[in-house]
Amino acid sequence: MAEQQTSHADEIVRVDGLYKKYSKKADWAVENVSFSVNQGEIVGLLGHNGAGKSTTLRCLEGMLPFDQGSISICGYDIVKSPLKAKANMGFVTDDHSVFVKMTGLQYIDFMADIYKVSSALRKERFAELESVFCLGDSVRNLIASYSHGMRQKICMMGSLIHMPRLWILDEPMTGLDPRTMRAVQIFMLDYAKKGNGILFSSHALSTVAKLCDRVVLIRKGKQVSDINVREITEKDSQFDFEEYFLNYERQD
Amino acid sequence: MKDKIDFSLLGTLLKKQWRERSAAFRKGNFDAVGFIFRILLTFAFVAVFVVFFGKFLDIYLNITLNGVLDPTERLYELLSIVYIVVLIAMVISGISQINRALFAADDMKIMAALPVGARTLYVSKLIYIYLGQVLFAAVALLTVNLTVAAHASQPALFFVFTVLACFLLPLLSVGIASIFALPFHALKLALKNRFVISFIVVTLITAALLFLYAYLLEGVKEMLLGDDLKYFFNERVMTRIASVVAALYPANLIANILLGREMLVSCLVIAAALVACALISAFAIKKLLLRSLQSRISGQAKVKGARNSLVSAHSPLAALVKKEFLMIFRTPNYMFSYFAIAVVMPLMVYFCMSVGSSLVVKLIAVDCSLELSVFLTLLFGSLANVFCTTNISRDGQMFYSVKAMPVSPKTVIFSKVLLCMIVTCVSQILCSVLLCAAGYLSVLNGIFLFATGLLFGFAQVCIATRIDFDHAKFSTEPDGEIKESGNTVSSVILAGLVVSFLIGGAVVLVRMMLSLRGLANRFSYLTFVIAGGAAFLFAALGYLFLIRRLNDKYYRFSGGGLL
Repeated sequence: MAEQQTSHADEIVRVDGLYKKYSKKADWAVENVSFSVNQGEIVGLLGHNGAGKSTTLRCLEGMLPFDQGSISICGYDIVKSPLKAKANMGFVTDDHSVFVKMTGLQYIDFMADIYKVSSALRKERFAELESVFCLGDSVRNLIASYSHGMRQKICMMGSLIHMPRLWILDEPMTGLDPRTMRAVQIFMLDYAKKGNGILFSSHALSTVAKLCDRVVLIRKGKQVSDINVREITEKDSQFDFEEYFLNYERQD
Repeated sequence: MKDKIDFSLLGTLLKKQWRERSAAFRKGNFDAVGFIFRILLTFAFVAVFVVFFGKFLDIYLNITLNGVLDPTERLYELLSIVYIVVLIAMVISGISQINRALFAADDMKIMAALPVGARTLYVSKLIYIYLGQVLFAAVALLTVNLTVAAHASQPALFFVFTVLACFLLPLLSVGIASIFALPFHALKLALKNRFVISFIVVTLITAALLFLYAYLLEGVKEMLLGDDLKYFFNERVMTRIASVVAALYPANLIANILLGREMLVSCLVIAAALVACALISAFAIKKLLLRSLQSRISGQAKVKGARNSLVSAHSPLAALVKKEFLMIFRTPNYMFSYFAIAVVMPLMVYFCMSVGSSLVVKLIAVDCSLELSVFLTLLFGSLANVFCTTNISRDGQMFYSVKAMPVSPKTVIFSKVLLCMIVTCVSQILCSVLLCAAGYLSVLNGIFLFATGLLFGFAQVCIATRIDFDHAKFSTEPDGEIKESGNTVSSVILAGLVVSFLIGGAVVLVRMMLSLRGLANRFSYLTFVIAGGAAFLFAALGYLFLIRRLNDKYYRFSGGGLL
């Protein structure tokens, strides 16, 4: 049966041999990328600009079609059961796409309607998210008037209103003030502890080192490494992730 | 530091504007269909104008006032009226262009941070707008003046002054527009985020313009129905025209110069008017420009009337329809192009109906109100629905975000069609009620008109949405707003016009021919069969066209030009 969950019970995301190119003549934007995100895990996607991180995430979110491979979210194949797969995730894009002609509240309402969150639950969750993101009275204003960071916050709030099993974030810390950045990091750790999975791309190595259990390195569309940062750090307390990553880049 | 105009920078700034404009003609950006369509439309308009204006000139120049034949005076009146119309059009367009250049163009964000004075920027924008208006004036004035010269011989000086007028009229229009541009912007800021008030104001202005148009149409009808055009321009009318023309400054002064009358006084008054415009404009820049530019960049946006708490849950379809509504209602250009036009569409039909039906009855003694109403409803309905050609493109990057949400392709696309159908439904109901109330249609015919209009509207919305889906072009503007129409828009306008003329024209023609042969009552059902049948057929085809491999194409969608 197409909609049956097929993956391991612990796995929230399973990407197998993902290939994507933007046109027939173009090079692979993503070439043979495979990784997984398990329950309670935070996985970072690292690579230089144009490495293929955002393309991978967009394929995962169902925004872009891909040429080969498979993606399953909570056991649902993104191609065969797209609606069920998407219902289990929340996403924040790198360009903070939101409906700018809505007020913050209207956007939250829209997202809650789309993910079928009941009236009582959405109020409760909104209050919880507001305590993390602190948009204050601005939620009543048009999103068009928001600053870069405020848009980022409303995107995050919208993506979490249904408390997804998988939270995907593309460059989540860009534009956030230090206080919110700290609050988001704590929230991410806490959210993962509850058994959810988080997959995010970032250039902020210190953030990646601090938050991630595992890191998938992508270079020129190809996956070059899948490192269990937590395991290495536990074995070697002197392990410096930033140095490790930069060394890796220098080898190229 | 005093903000003086830096003339050395003007050339650079003008070149920058030209390069940005000419980018629309580069391969990939060029809307060939739209361009050819616009050129053909301009040619057609000029040709029709030349023929009718020439015939009108022959009659008008021979009209006597108090028994005196004075062709020069008649020409003066006519030129003054035509020039004032051209001037008003140019001023309105100028106000809009200046506003767009200063407050909507993305470059001002960058330019405001560069070491370029506000006056230099403003003047560079004005010069560019002026050059554009010279082009428009050349087309308008050369058409009018050459037609005049062809029908009433003029001295060589007339042609020299015609060329000068092409440069002079835009100077006046830009001068006047520059005075009103900033107060207009202040008004826009005052109305900002008061969406309901804006909608009412825009709708009322559009309706008022339509009333003016209807008034003119009524005049044309009277002229056409009159036994003799000269009879229409009787002593009373001519005296009124003369008194109105005397007040049509500065158009009457330009007419005077062209006809070689009171040249010195006319030139001096125009020069004084230009200086006054420049001074008032300079004052306005000093007082308002910098503040206006800054207000564009900063400012929170409270929405009047928006709820302050989360609302109860809706279905995803309802949420998507609401989203579509807010996107259109809260974007002034979209609101005007769709909602305001859809609301006033019944008025357009009604005015044209009031002129058309009596004209047909008078000319060929055939009552074809139903057929004419079908034709007009299809025609104006198709024009109002052209907005649906941006159903996908206006989502911009957000189309991808919606794609990543757990909503089926049919729900996403159907939400767009549903909103358009709600608007079409309101528009068609108003149209039928208005025509029934005015006595043009019986209730049964009104219901038929409503159903036909709705089915054709559905077909057009489905086709336009699918074409836009297959050829989506997302805006690169920061707010995602589509500011320029593409190939899809031109194609759908053209298709809408062709279908309206084919189906609407067919039912009118059939009714006329049957009436002339005395068979109208026997075959009265033919209108229902032709229009109703075509409406059903188009609606079915439109729906099939929309859903053809939609799921597959939706999931494989990667167009729009943003990713």
